[in-house]
Amino acid sequence: MNCAECKELLVAYVEQLLDKSQEKTVYEHVEKCQSCRAEASELKTLQERLVKNGKALSESGLEDKVLNQIIREQNVRLKSARKAGEGLNIRRIIMKSKITKAAAAAVIIFAVLIGINIFGGTVTFAKVAEQFLKARTVVYDFIIGDEENNPVIMHEIVVGPRIRRTISNLPGMTQIIDMETGKMLALNDVDKTAAYVNIKGVLQERTRGYIEFVRKVLMELKDSQKVVKLGEQEIEGRKAIGFSGRGNNNQELKIWADPKTAVPIRVELRLGQLLVVFKNFQFDEPIDDSQVSMEVPEGYKLEEAEIDFTKGTEEDFIKSLRVWAEVLLDGKFPDAIGTERYMKQMPLIGEKLAQSGLSKDEAEKLAMALPRGMFFLQLLEIDDKYHYAGKGVKLGEADKAIFWYRPKEAEKYRVIYGDLSVKEVSKENLPK
Amino acid sequence: MAKADKYYIERCLDGHPDDFRYLVRRYQGVLLAHLAGKLGNKNSAEEVAQETLVRAYFKMNNLEKRESFFPWLLGIGDRVAKEHQRKEQLRRQREVVRSYSEEVGSPELSQDYALEAAIAKLPEAYRRVVLLRYYGNCSCSQVAEQLDMPLGTVTKTLSRAYAMLRKTLEQQKQEEIYEVQK
Repeated sequence: MNCAECKELLVAYVEQLLDKSQEKTVYEHVEKCQSCRAEASELKTLQERLVKNGKALSESGLEDKVLNQIIREQNVRLKSARKAGEGLNIRRIIMKSKITKAAAAAVIIFAVLIGINIFGGTVTFAKVAEQFLKARTVVYDFIIGDEENNPVIMHEIVVGPRIRRTISNLPGMTQIIDMETGKMLALNDVDKTAAYVNIKGVLQERTRGYIEFVRKVLMELKDSQKVVKLGEQEIEGRKAIGFSGRGNNNQELKIWADPKTAVPIRVELRLGQLLVVFKNFQFDEPIDDSQVSMEVPEGYKLEEAEIDFTKGTEEDFIKSLRVWAEVLLDGKFPDAIGTERYMKQMPLIGEKLAQSGLSKDEAEKLAMALPRGMFFLQLLEIDDKYHYAGKGVKLGEADKAIFWYRPKEAEKYRVIYGDLSVKEVSKENLPK
Repeated sequence: MAKADKYYIERCLDGHPDDFRYLVRRYQGVLLAHLAGKLGNKNSAEEVAQETLVRAYFKMNNLEKRESFFPWLLGIGDRVAKEHQRKEQLRRQREVVRSYSEEVGSPELSQDYALEAAIAKLPEAYRRVVLLRYYGNCSCSQVAEQLDMPLGTVTKTLSRAYAMLRKTLEQQKQEEIYEVQK
């Protein structure tokens, strides 16, 4: 045996994996050869080091800690499951239903719509704006409505024209949106299915050319005089400097940024009755392209789905009120409505309809009423142009007005009553 | 090994959370070694390992191939480690903003950090074999079974892993000497 042959076998020798005759040959060679002996001894030292470290780490006693934490979390989950109807079993039902996929898709699309408005005609501080301008990637959380009370949090990763989004009340769902092509890839991580969703019509127009649009607006605003400085304040546990401005359509925007680096910390946007908060920003984090790939990931089954959001009519809205009252609230209208409320109902509606005994087709149609109704309402919401008075009203109460608004370019208001009938009413005769 | 994993996973899914204990016992060393070299800090590694195991427990339903618990667990570990690093980074940035004077203490390293760091640098295929062999208390033939490869391949992989580990450890030593001389 020569040294090269011996060295080839040394690890196996140290690991005692050689058969008797091989072992003997190696042993005899090592006895004679100093260089191979040195090599063997070094390997032995390394092996002992690995064994010693391995032993120390595998006796770390994580067992009790892990099990205790599991029991704690299990309890918390059970509690909140009872509260919000999001238990493991229920979640399984929801995730398997196509309804939820459609509802989730709706949430996504609406959020995209709002997302654009942050930059649409609003005013911002040049340096802070620059952070958005030059960043190749942006990561942030995004909340519509009340931040404190069980908020629905959307986590977004933006790379160029692509967005990857997850939503806290629809766990297991991931959406990747390509702003340029107006296409969305919806992934269901639970049953490993994927669906492409085309964003048609109005929405596609508003979502196209996102980045260029943002750049253009921000460039214009860099020299704008319309920005008000809010001074320094503690925001999200950090010292921050604030700026506030109003867009052409009266959107109110506040940006809080690091006073030294100008990196945005928090963005608040008020669009009529809608408050949107962006926080936990990270700029230019290295993000793997696969995160925002529009390809169906390996192991996922592609399902066809095309959702039409070109419509969002008053009729859809009325249908959504009916579904909400009948299916979710035992015949009562909700205390309040709005994007935030609609979004919180999405997982529940899937569950309730799954239990209702309706055919799949019927259930899907009913479920779609919710996002469509939300679409209709959202356009009114952004312009602050509706009034809701459904609190305490029961479905069927024809004498009680629950909602009124004035359609674009119309003279009279449209009033919806508790029996879901609609009347045209002039301004003087509106309910008080 | 992999078959036993499957058994315990199914027990857990059937509502016997206590049986998760066996999986923790089997994989804590592997997971800690995998994470320690990445995070460079013993406390962080333990924290992340714990979180990883808890998450694995709650996500076990998603594990389609029950036999692949080991690589799956490492994958979760990687994600939790990344989140942890990001949070740490944010926390440090915040600390810097709050007080410039505060000294950041040196992290508490585990007993053989150099070795763990060297393992973290190994290519995936080699790292798995080393982790299972020494941190998962597997014999070489058990490693072969778990990773579904012939025993000869395990030996060869291990041989190359040894060579790489030695090279990395040697380099680290040189760098330390250089640091001291500076």
